[in-house]
Amino acid sequence: MSSSSRSALAVLGRYLLPQWPRVLLLAVLLLGSIGLQLYVPLVLQRFIDTAQQQGALATLYRLAGVYLGAAVIVQLMQAGATYVGADVGWTSTNRLRADLMRHLMNLDMAYHKDHTPGEMIERVDGDVTALSNFFSQFSVRVFGAMLLLVGSLGVFWWRDWRVGLGVTLFAGLTLTVLLRLRRIGVEPSRQEREASARLYGFIEERLTGLDDLRALGAGPHALRGFLGVQKDFFWKSRAAWISRSVVWRASFVLFAIGYTAVLGAAVGMYAAGLVTIGTVYLYYQYMTLVEDPIDQLTQQLQELQKAGASLIRVGEVLALRTTLHSGERALPEGPLEVRFDDVTFSYGSGEDHAPVLRGVDLTIGAGRVVGLLGRTGSGKTTLTRLVTRLYDPTLGAVRVAGVDTRDLDTGALRERVAVVTQDVQLFQASVRDNLTLFDDRVPDDRVEEALKEAGLGDWLAGQPEGVRTPLAAGSLSAGEAQLLAFARVLLRDPGVVILDEPSSRLDPATEARLTLAMTNLLRGRTAIVIAHRLDTVARADDILVLGDGRVLEYGPRETLARDRASRYSALLSAGRSDLEEVLS
Amino acid sequence: MTVTPRAKPEFSTLRLMGGLFSYRRGLFVVNLVLWGAFHTVPVAFAYAAKVLFDRLRLGDLTGAWIALAAFGLARLARFGVFSAAFTLWIDLWYRLDALVRRNLLSHLLTAPRARRLPDTPAEAVSRFRDDVNEVAQYTEFFTDGSGILLYALVSFALMWSIDPLITVVVCAPLLLMVILVRFLSNTIRAYRRRSREATARVTDFVGEAFAAVSTVKLAAREPMMVAHLERLGETRRHAALRDVLLTELIRSVNTNMVSVATGMVLLLAASSIRAGSFTVGDFVLFATLLPRLANSMTFFGGMLAQHRRTGVSFERMLRLLGDAKPGQIVEHHDLHLSSEPPAAPPPPAREELRELRAEGLTALHESGRGVRDVDLVVRRGEFVVITGRIGSGKTTLLRALLGLLPSGGRITWNGRAVEDPASFFVPPRSAYTSQLPQLFSETLRENVLQGAHEGRLQRALDLSVLAPDVTQLDRGLETVVGARGVKLSGGQVSRAAAARMFARDAELLVFDDLSSALDAQTERLLWEGLAEDAGERTCLVVSHRRAALLRADRILVLSEGRVVDQGRLGELLERSPEMRELWAEDEPVTD
Repeated sequence: MSSSSRSALAVLGRYLLPQWPRVLLLAVLLLGSIGLQLYVPLVLQRFIDTAQQQGALATLYRLAGVYLGAAVIVQLMQAGATYVGADVGWTSTNRLRADLMRHLMNLDMAYHKDHTPGEMIERVDGDVTALSNFFSQFSVRVFGAMLLLVGSLGVFWWRDWRVGLGVTLFAGLTLTVLLRLRRIGVEPSRQEREASARLYGFIEERLTGLDDLRALGAGPHALRGFLGVQKDFFWKSRAAWISRSVVWRASFVLFAIGYTAVLGAAVGMYAAGLVTIGTVYLYYQYMTLVEDPIDQLTQQLQELQKAGASLIRVGEVLALRTTLHSGERALPEGPLEVRFDDVTFSYGSGEDHAPVLRGVDLTIGAGRVVGLLGRTGSGKTTLTRLVTRLYDPTLGAVRVAGVDTRDLDTGALRERVAVVTQDVQLFQASVRDNLTLFDDRVPDDRVEEALKEAGLGDWLAGQPEGVRTPLAAGSLSAGEAQLLAFARVLLRDPGVVILDEPSSRLDPATEARLTLAMTNLLRGRTAIVIAHRLDTVARADDILVLGDGRVLEYGPRETLARDRASRYSALLSAGRSDLEEVLS
Repeated sequence: MTVTPRAKPEFSTLRLMGGLFSYRRGLFVVNLVLWGAFHTVPVAFAYAAKVLFDRLRLGDLTGAWIALAAFGLARLARFGVFSAAFTLWIDLWYRLDALVRRNLLSHLLTAPRARRLPDTPAEAVSRFRDDVNEVAQYTEFFTDGSGILLYALVSFALMWSIDPLITVVVCAPLLLMVILVRFLSNTIRAYRRRSREATARVTDFVGEAFAAVSTVKLAAREPMMVAHLERLGETRRHAALRDVLLTELIRSVNTNMVSVATGMVLLLAASSIRAGSFTVGDFVLFATLLPRLANSMTFFGGMLAQHRRTGVSFERMLRLLGDAKPGQIVEHHDLHLSSEPPAAPPPPAREELRELRAEGLTALHESGRGVRDVDLVVRRGEFVVITGRIGSGKTTLLRALLGLLPSGGRITWNGRAVEDPASFFVPPRSAYTSQLPQLFSETLRENVLQGAHEGRLQRALDLSVLAPDVTQLDRGLETVVGARGVKLSGGQVSRAAAARMFARDAELLVFDDLSSALDAQTERLLWEGLAEDAGERTCLVVSHRRAALLRADRILVLSEGRVVDQGRLGELLERSPEMRELWAEDEPVTD
C-alpha cells in the first residue's frame, strides 16, 4: 500500500471513529433493509404456489399482508440509512473542513502567494464535499448494493446450486465487462471537461472584456472564435457521450441475455418437474435484485475513485508544514521599540532570488512615527512584513521591544503589531464581524467606539441595524473601507502600527476624515507609515528612505530637512516632478 | 437618461421550445419516433412474461418457449432502438444547446446599442451553462414524453382488459403519490434552496477568508475564522439533512406506492387467483408494468415543474440580453459544426474625422452619480485630455460618448448626428482602451490582432512600447497570456491593450487612464512615440499624468460629473484651484 493511500485511510479513520454509534446504526439499518429485500420475493413465491394449489384464502391474505408490511419497512429502513449516512458524512466532514481551514490558515504566506482563494475553496470544500457524498451516498448505495448482490446470489445457490453457479458467473462477467467498458469513457470525458472549461472560459473572458471587444469592433471576430471553440466542444461532448453509452448498450444486451437465460433455466426445470411455478417467478424476481446492484456498482465506482483521489489530496494538504515556528514570549503594554539587526532577506534561495533587503540596521524608538519612502521594489513592504513575522529574515534579526520576533508568540506579536494595507479585505458579514474578524468576545459598544474613533460615526448612524447590519458587497467607498481598516486596528490597541497609506486621490471630504482618523490611529504608538503624500511625511518624526533594499537615509525629519545634502531636503526643494530621480 | 428597469418580457415558453424543435425538424421527429419506441417496448416484454407464465400454468411448454423467445427478442430490440436513439439524441441536444448559446453571445457581442451585463460575468456565464441546460432538459421531456405517454396508455388498457376494478384501485395510490409530490414540491424546493444557500455561504466564506489571509494572519484571527466556518458548516449540515430527509421520504413513498399497489393486487386478486379467473400471468403483468407506470406519472409531474423552470431560464436569458426579442434566443442560424465559420464582415468604410462633438451628454448610474450635460469637441489632430479626481466621472464620460453606456444628448461626427454610438464608434472611426483592459487566454499575437490585419502588428507593438517586453517572453508573440497563460504585469496588460488598439489604425484613439498601470516614464515614451508616428492622430485621453497634461491641446477638468473648466494647461493652472491640486498630486512621493 502506498504511503498516500495509507494516509488517506488514516484520515478516514480519524474522522469516522468518533462517530461509531451512528456508524453502527447505519450498518444495522442497511443490513436490516437488505435482509428484508431478500425476503420479500419469497413471500410472493409462496403466495403464487399457495394460490396454484388452491390453498386457504386466509393464508393468501396473510401473505399479502406480510408482503405489504415488509415492503413498507424496507423503504423506511432505507430512508433511515440514507439519512444517518448523510448525517455521519456531514458531521465528520465538517470537522475535517475546520481542521483543513485551521491547517491552511497557519501555513506560511509563501504558500498562500502561490495558491488562489479559488484553490483554497477547492481544498477546503470541494474535495471534502466529494468525501461527504462518499459517506452519505456511497456507503449506503455501494455497500448496500454489494450486500444485496451477494445475498441474491446466495438465494440462487440455496435454491439450486446449478442456477446459483450460472447466475454468479453471469454477475461476475457482467460486472467485469461493464467496469472495463466504463474505462473507455474516461479519456473522452476528460477531453469533454477540458473542452467545456475552454468554452465557458472563452465566454466568461469575452463577457468580462465585452466593452473592449465592442469598442474595438471585434465582436464578430470573437463570435467567430466562439463558433470554433463550440465546434470543438460539440464533437468532444458527442464523442464522450457515445463512449460513455457503450456501458449502457452492453448492459442492455447482457441483461437481455441474463433474464432470458434464467427464465429459460426455470422453464426447463419446471418442465422437468423440479420447481413450482412460484419458483419460476422467484427466479425472475431475484434477477431484478441482481440487476439493480450491478447498475449501482458500475455507476458509483467512479464516485469511489473521485472520493479516493480527494482523500489522498486531503492527506497531502494535512501533511504540509509551516516553517515559521512560534516562540513563547509575550510583549509589554504601550508603544514598542522596533529594531532591525543587520537584516538581509530574500523571498527564496538560489540565484534567481536577489536579496530584497541588504544589511538593514536601524532602531525605531518606542512611540516614534517613521515616514517610509522609496520607489517600487525598494523593499518597503518587505521591511514591514518582517516585523509581523509573515516572513523571517534570511540573515540578522528583527526585535520588537528588544525580543527577537522568532522568540515571540506569533499570536501575541500580531495582536500588538497592527497592519493597515491599501487593499482592505471585506467579508459578506455584519459590520461587527468585519471589524472583529468574527471574534465573538468583543462587545458591541467597543466596536461602535472604534468606528467612531475612526471617523465612521456618521456612517454607522446610517446603518439600519447598527453594527449588526450586514455589509453588502460594494456598499463602502474606497475611503470608507480604509477607515474601516483603521477601526479594525483601533479595536485592538496595538503598540506598533504599520500603515500603507492610500496612494490614490479621494474626494476631499473622505480625505479629511482619513487624515483625522490617522491622527487618532498613530497617537501614542510606534508607527511605520509607507507614505504617498507630502502632508503625511510632514507629520512624521523620522524619515527613512529605502533604495534597492538598503537604508539610504534615516534620521529625524527636521534634521534631514535642514541638511542640504540629504535626499529628503532635495526632495522638498527640487520640486516633486523629478522626485523619483531623487529617490533612486 | 437613466436606465429604467425593463418590464418583464412577454413570451410563451412553448412557442420558444417550438422554435427550437423546428431548428432541425427531421432530427427532432426521428428522436420522437425512436424514443417513443424505446419507452413502449417494455410493454412487450411484460406481456411476453405474462404469456410465459400462463402457458406454464396450462402446461403448454411449447407456448412457454415461444413466449420466452419473444421476451428475449423484445429485450434485444430495446437495445437496438436505444443504440440508434441515443446518438441521435446527443446530436439534437448539443445542437440546440449550441444554438441557444450562439444566439446569446451573438447578441451581446454584436447587437447595436449599449450593452451592460445585469450581473457579474461569472453570473452571466451561468446563463450560458445552467439555463441553457434547463432548456435542453425540457427538450428531453418532449422526446421522452410521447413514448412514456404511449406506455402509460397501453399499460392501462392492458390492465383494464384483465381486471378493471383492480386496475382502478392500484392506479389510485400512484395518482395519490403524484399529487403528494406535487404538493410537497414547493417545500422541497425551499429546502433545496436553503441548502444551496448554506453551501454558497460556506464557499464564499472560505474564499473571502483566504483572499484576506494576510489580514487574518496579521490580526491573529485564524481561530475565529475556523470557528466561523464551523458555525456555517453546522447550518449547512442542518439544511442538507432536512433536504435529504424529505427527498428520501418522497423517494420511499414513491417506491412504496408501487409495493403497496402490488400488495393490493395480491389482496384483491387472492380469491380470483385461487379461482383461476386472475392468472399468475396476469399478476406478473401487473407487477411488471406497475413500477414503470408509477415512474411515468412522476415523469409528467416533473415535466410541469421543468416547464416552469425553463420559463424562468428563458426569462433570465432575456434579462441578460437586455433589449432582445424573445424569439431571438431560438433564432435559426448555421452553427458551423462541420465547417469553418465564415470570416467576420469587413469594418465600416473609413471616413476622415474632422470634428467630433457632443452636446448635453448625460449618463447617470443608478447611484445618481455619472456625468451631466457635458459639451465636448475634439478636432482633427488634437490631443484632448479629460482630468479630475477619482469619482469625478471621467470614465463614465468616455463610455457614454462611445455608446458603452446608455446616455442622453447629441453626438455628431463631422456634423452628422450619430444615432447609435455603440455601433458607430468602432474602427476605423475610433478605437478604445479601457482602464482595466481585458486580455484573453490566447497568444499575445492573437490578443493584439483580434482579427485585425497582420501587417500592422509590428508598428502597434512599437507604438505601445511593448516590443521590448515581447523579446523578454520565452515564446515571444506566441506566448499564451491571460488567465490561463502567462501572467503579464499590470503595465504589460495596459500596453498590450494599447497595441490592440493601434493594430486597428483608427481615426480617433480613446485612452482611459493608462497611468494606473504604467509608470510615468513609459507613459511619456508612449505619448512621444505616438506624436512622432506619421499621420494626424486625434486622441481623447483620460489622465492625470503630467506627461499627458503637458502635451494636451485642451484639458477638460471634470468635477462631480460636470466640466468645471477647460483650456490649455497654463491658463488652467492659473485660474483653476482644482487643476492646481490635481497637478500637485501627480508624481506621488512613491511609486
